Amino acid sequence: MNSKARIAKPIARKQGLVIQELPDEVLVYDLERDRAHCLNETAAFVWQRCDGQNSTTQIARTLGDQLNCEVDEKIIWLALDQLGRSYLLEKQPTAPPAMKGMNRRTMMRSLGIAVTVPLVISITAPTVQAASSCIGSGSPCTPGGIPCCANLSCSGPAGQQTCQ
Amino acid sequence: MKRSDIGLRSRGLVIASLLAGSWRTAPPPLNLSPEDLDEITPLLYNSGAAALGWRRIRDTELSTIPSAEVLHQGYRLQALQVAISQSKIEIVHRLLQEARVDAILVKGWAVAGFYPELALRPLGDIDLVVRPADYEAVGRILARPEARGCWIDLHSGLSEFQDRSIDELFSRSHIVSLRDTQIRVLSLEDHLALLTIHLLKHGAWRPLWLCDIAAIVESLPNDFDWKICLGSDKHRGSWISASIALAHQLLGANINKVPLQARAKHVPEWLRESVLKQWGNLFPGDHLPVQPRPLMTNVLTSPRGILKETWERWPDSITATFNMRGRINNFPRLPYQLGDFSTRAGRYLIDYLRRAAART
Repeated sequence: MNSKARIAKPIARKQGLVIQELPDEVLVYDLERDRAHCLNETAAFVWQRCDGQNSTTQIARTLGDQLNCEVDEKIIWLALDQLGRSYLLEKQPTAPPAMKGMNRRTMMRSLGIAVTVPLVISITAPTVQAASSCIGSGSPCTPGGIPCCANLSCSGPAGQQTCQ
Repeated sequence: MKRSDIGLRSRGLVIASLLAGSWRTAPPPLNLSPEDLDEITPLLYNSGAAALGWRRIRDTELSTIPSAEVLHQGYRLQALQVAISQSKIEIVHRLLQEARVDAILVKGWAVAGFYPELALRPLGDIDLVVRPADYEAVGRILARPEARGCWIDLHSGLSEFQDRSIDELFSRSHIVSLRDTQIRVLSLEDHLALLTIHLLKHGAWRPLWLCDIAAIVESLPNDFDWKICLGSDKHRGSWISASIALAHQLLGANINKVPLQARAKHVPEWLRESVLKQWGNLFPGDHLPVQPRPLMTNVLTSPRGILKETWERWPDSITATFNMRGRINNFPRLPYQLGDFSTRAGRYLIDYLRRAAART
């Protein structure tokens, strides 16, 4: 790894996000992009330590201390790659050449690791209608979906139906 | 029973067995096949019960099948939705408090607190009840840019309660805290009554609503006033009792705290069957309005057309009973369904003629 990559100090994005911590994962909702992400324990650990102070080497060491094992820095880079693709980093350091083309599967194969491989998955955006009794006047609807409120029906051109 | 009804009913029964006790800290053991879970997963997801479904299967072998991942996603989304919805509730209440207007938050967040985790109960729109005199002012406040993105369903009183005044509801309501924000919610007596009547008003199509009732019934304090809950309207009182009995029969809600006078003697078969069929239907009754123009066109062109038209607009037995203020007993529902259909047809015909007259 070159020296530039070694001192990389990533910064996590904080603005425009709703964060919900669950016992074994962290959920993040991106208000700007209307996207929801689920970070597994390892990805969440890395993301929470991206404060512009910790280098990737330090994050790897801290993770190793927590898990009581040696953690290869490649794990951190894989997490950063996924966090960056999900727009969860303010500042994403350039990955070292050794990391280019490395994906989750090749990582698992090459490291044979005890650590859970970092994973950021996208989840479909929630719809507020999932809990409504009925859809009110003028709101979008799907024929046969959640019913329109009393005396309204779902009508209009295909794909643009509203309760009228 | 028609073949298609048997399919709906059996799916409804599987949903009932999955959701039984799902609101408890320690739900009962589950006996469900992967095929059953595959079949009901879209129904659970579409009706807002995915998180409850996930809770029931997450510690079982079923948690590894693909359908389980759909429910898991539903749970995750609701967990995020809680955080988003709570901040919106805070914004709305801050605006109302600045304007010194009192409002009662009903359903949604006010019910979610009865579950072991808020994320188990989806939070949709924010239902607010205000005094009629405040309605317009509140409408203006909530139209401000700060409230943009808050989906508010503003009610001037509650149509479910014709036997209790808005002042009574306010006088019995109480305050709960959401972080630093004070939120006014209905008394438990009024809230249980509202949820039970609301269930029937909408044909009980969401199993989640019956879980809400079950969760509250099992959390009732010893000083719960059943006289207030059942109200002075005997019809509505019987609806409340019937809904509680449904929660007991279909979901195994413990009704030990429900006194005899509030217990329905039995749940009529039509009510139980209608609920199961609603639950088993991926697209439960979106009853189209009875529009005179297509009806008249179909009368003139094709007798089969009018039958189809009528069938699509035919009210389910629960909604028809509610709309016609009917009794919940063993008598057939056809008179109520005919009455409800005719009333709606008449209303639309009058409206149609009035608009046609205005055009000429």
